[in-house]
Amino acid sequence: MTATARPSGRAHPERTRPSRRGPTELPFAFADRALVERLSNDGAEPAWLRADRLAAFQRFESLPIEANLLYTPYLDLRGADLMDAVPYGTSAALMPPATSASVPADVAGLIELREDGVATYALAPEAEAAGVVLETFGQALRRDPDGLRAELEGGSSVPDDRLAQLTRAAWSLGVRVVVPDGVRLDRPILVRWLAGAPSRALLTRTLVTLGEGASATLVEELLPSGPEIACAAGETVPQSLFTGTIEAIIARDATFAVASIQEFGPRQVAFQQRHATLGEGATVHWALGQLGSRLVRSRVDNRLVGDRSSVEQVEIVFGSGEQLFDLTSYTRHLGRDTTGDLLAKGALQDEARSFMKGLITIDKTAVGTDSFLGEFGMNLSRKTRAVAIPSLEIDQPDCRRVAHSSSVGPIDEGQVFYLESRGIPDDEARKFIVLGFLEPVVARVPLAEAEQRLRDGLAAKWEAGRAASAA
Amino acid sequence: MTTTRELVQDQRDQYAFHDDIVYLHESGRGLTRETVEGISRFKDEPDWMREFRLRAYDHFLARPMPEWGGDLGTIDFDRIVYYRKPSEREEKSWDDVPDQIKATFERLGIPEAERKFLAGVGAQYDSEVVYHSVREELSKIGVVFMGTDQALKEYPDIFRQYFGTVVPPEDNKFAALNSAVWSGGSFVYVPKGVEVPLPLQAYFRINGENTGQFERTLIVVDEGAKVHYIEGCTAPIYATDSLHAAVVEVIALPGSKVRYTTIQNWSNDVYNLVTKRAHAHANSTVEWIDANTGSRLTMKYPSIYLRGEGATADVISVAVAGKGQHQDTGAKAIHLASNTRSRIVSKSVSKDGGRATYRGQLKVSPGAKNVVASVRCDALMLDDLSRSDTYPYIDIQEDDTTMTHEATVGKISGDQVFYLMSRGLTENEATNLIVQGFLEVFTKELPMEYAIEFNRLVKLEMEGSLG
Repeated sequence: MTATARPSGRAHPERTRPSRRGPTELPFAFADRALVERLSNDGAEPAWLRADRLAAFQRFESLPIEANLLYTPYLDLRGADLMDAVPYGTSAALMPPATSASVPADVAGLIELREDGVATYALAPEAEAAGVVLETFGQALRRDPDGLRAELEGGSSVPDDRLAQLTRAAWSLGVRVVVPDGVRLDRPILVRWLAGAPSRALLTRTLVTLGEGASATLVEELLPSGPEIACAAGETVPQSLFTGTIEAIIARDATFAVASIQEFGPRQVAFQQRHATLGEGATVHWALGQLGSRLVRSRVDNRLVGDRSSVEQVEIVFGSGEQLFDLTSYTRHLGRDTTGDLLAKGALQDEARSFMKGLITIDKTAVGTDSFLGEFGMNLSRKTRAVAIPSLEIDQPDCRRVAHSSSVGPIDEGQVFYLESRGIPDDEARKFIVLGFLEPVVARVPLAEAEQRLRDGLAAKWEAGRAASAA
Repeated sequence: MTTTRELVQDQRDQYAFHDDIVYLHESGRGLTRETVEGISRFKDEPDWMREFRLRAYDHFLARPMPEWGGDLGTIDFDRIVYYRKPSEREEKSWDDVPDQIKATFERLGIPEAERKFLAGVGAQYDSEVVYHSVREELSKIGVVFMGTDQALKEYPDIFRQYFGTVVPPEDNKFAALNSAVWSGGSFVYVPKGVEVPLPLQAYFRINGENTGQFERTLIVVDEGAKVHYIEGCTAPIYATDSLHAAVVEVIALPGSKVRYTTIQNWSNDVYNLVTKRAHAHANSTVEWIDANTGSRLTMKYPSIYLRGEGATADVISVAVAGKGQHQDTGAKAIHLASNTRSRIVSKSVSKDGGRATYRGQLKVSPGAKNVVASVRCDALMLDDLSRSDTYPYIDIQEDDTTMTHEATVGKISGDQVFYLMSRGLTENEATNLIVQGFLEVFTKELPMEYAIEFNRLVKLEMEGSLG
């Protein structure tokens, strides 16, 4: 007998994840300078745009995948396998959208992008009359190249993020939204992305500019472009890559609300970078729901530059199977009397994992800040893993409040008991508690149809998880 | 109330002295394989220890400097003296201690402290333990409290069984450095079922410019035993940088209880890079009570690996970062077994451009059922030149863990200061009192004499901020 007893608690179940790449290595091979040049040539792009792409590509090449040393221990891209993925070209982005669609009653504008093309486009006449712009980058290059240039170059993309710079270098499809000064849209603009063709990579940008005193709501839906593909036994469907941004410049006293629902298919890898710069008195609300994809790496940056600007962000994750949700938020307070209120909640089934990282930075100039970050997890199975890293970096103590709070726990059996005592079966009670835990984002979706779809998606995921654990 | 109104005298120069000692053995500056072998040869160590040191030395060379924490850029490993021994042999009786060293200790007040309160004293002067005494009754019941070097010779079996098992040389760059050149420190063994009634105390000092101090402490508490160990540090002030890279290993065997209290007050040129870790076996309790007010940069995260069912971990960490200081401190609780509990409380104060960083980890491994864990971090910033960071890492891999984490950062409330001033306190006194109240969670865990000393220390720090 040479075997020694293992120390208690060290017995890990053997992992079967692919290990041919390290956790920090890029899971794709398509990103090279030739791709960037080809995209620029094919689109017959002006010199400034080509230079912008190439500069971004240089930054992409020099940056590490995780620039923040705080978070390098929690980076794992091994779930993505995109070595054969082929990115789309720009040709479709230049095509005029099919403008025939009529505007649904509950939206001010609608653009649906299926893989590399525009499937549906509509803008309410009164919005158009008020000067609201909803178009692709291709259209903008022909109609208003100077306006697009000013927005892109003055932009709000993340300079130190490798994947954000890749998107900036190699996007093939862009959506531009402009709401002029003083225009207040009472119905949302719907941007629907349909992606998931096997072995394809779709790199996109969404650029939002709100003028002074403007008000707008954006509903972003991220859905599979086709039905789930079944494969013969022993074969797997190749994965698909989607990268998407929301780059928002919100001027003085403007209000911008975003509801994003990510329900991609199970073979999707999604890299998301969202960034908002807030002017004086501006307000941004994010409601972000993460349900789909094999691997999500998302980053949200809020720069509270203007005095009295304010951001509220709520993000939920409902994970199952082998899903990994890698979510980071950066909230930087620069102006006086700014407010940040961030809440992230995750419920995990099966072997799902979530890495929730959040950093609040309060600069010396940010007197009177009120900033809160909460990260809460509910682990529903023994093989899940919830990581929370809520961080604070404070250079200005003269704040109204700076705090973070975090908790991880199982379903509260006291709540189950209470509901059961009211005649609700055990299974239903647990479902109510989990869905109630995730409700804060659901209730913030401003479009009835999208809200219902999110609710149904969460319920379906719960049922699937119950079925899997019973099997 | 009257005690708080006493004028605080600046007593810091009392601790800032330096005696000229003729060193009997000195390793010379810089670190080479020969330095490491020389230390081992000089100490006449067994082969396994020499090999342990060399293995650690190789790892030290191979390991890059950590980049994630404080600024380590100005440490010059080539300028450090890795070993010096101020007197030939370990002294048992106070009368035999050389006069000059005795004079230093007299000024620090150690003998009085011993007479009054303490069960045993191990005072470290530079790199070697020169004075040790354990009360007779403790010796009789089998408690071992001696220099680590001496323990290697006198208790080779128990030493080898545990040494390097909690903090292996490969753990981090500075643990590797310590493992290569360690010298001095305390060894404590408490036999089964023995409760040590009074705290054991070791007093550490660095003397000598650019003296690295690499003490190594090993505490083994056998089943059902109980001990409280206290270390406090003062150091003379020098212009160039000193490095203190200690390793502390604590083994709490089933059913035992260990409390380890530190008051760290190195002078503001010292890099204090310490690895402290405990293994808590079934139903044991480990408590780290840790205060950091001195040093230029401290990177220290007392850790508890909860390895046995029913083990409990408790950490109270306080830090005061003044001008030119960075206190990068925190705690780790690693839950490896079921029904384990941990609680981490951290309080930090930053002022005059100082930086206080909380960095902590809470991990629940697969298989550790029914864990309850909590972390609470509060930071107080006294001015807007200072900085406060909070970086907790929470990693939960079980479904029935109950974990909570709370952190707040703020300044002293103007209302509180106003209230105290309306009762006749000066603004400075009011601020003092509020800071002391903020740190009370730590102070109240100290033996009374230490609590008084610590409150004085905080007052001194606060006084300094006015000048």
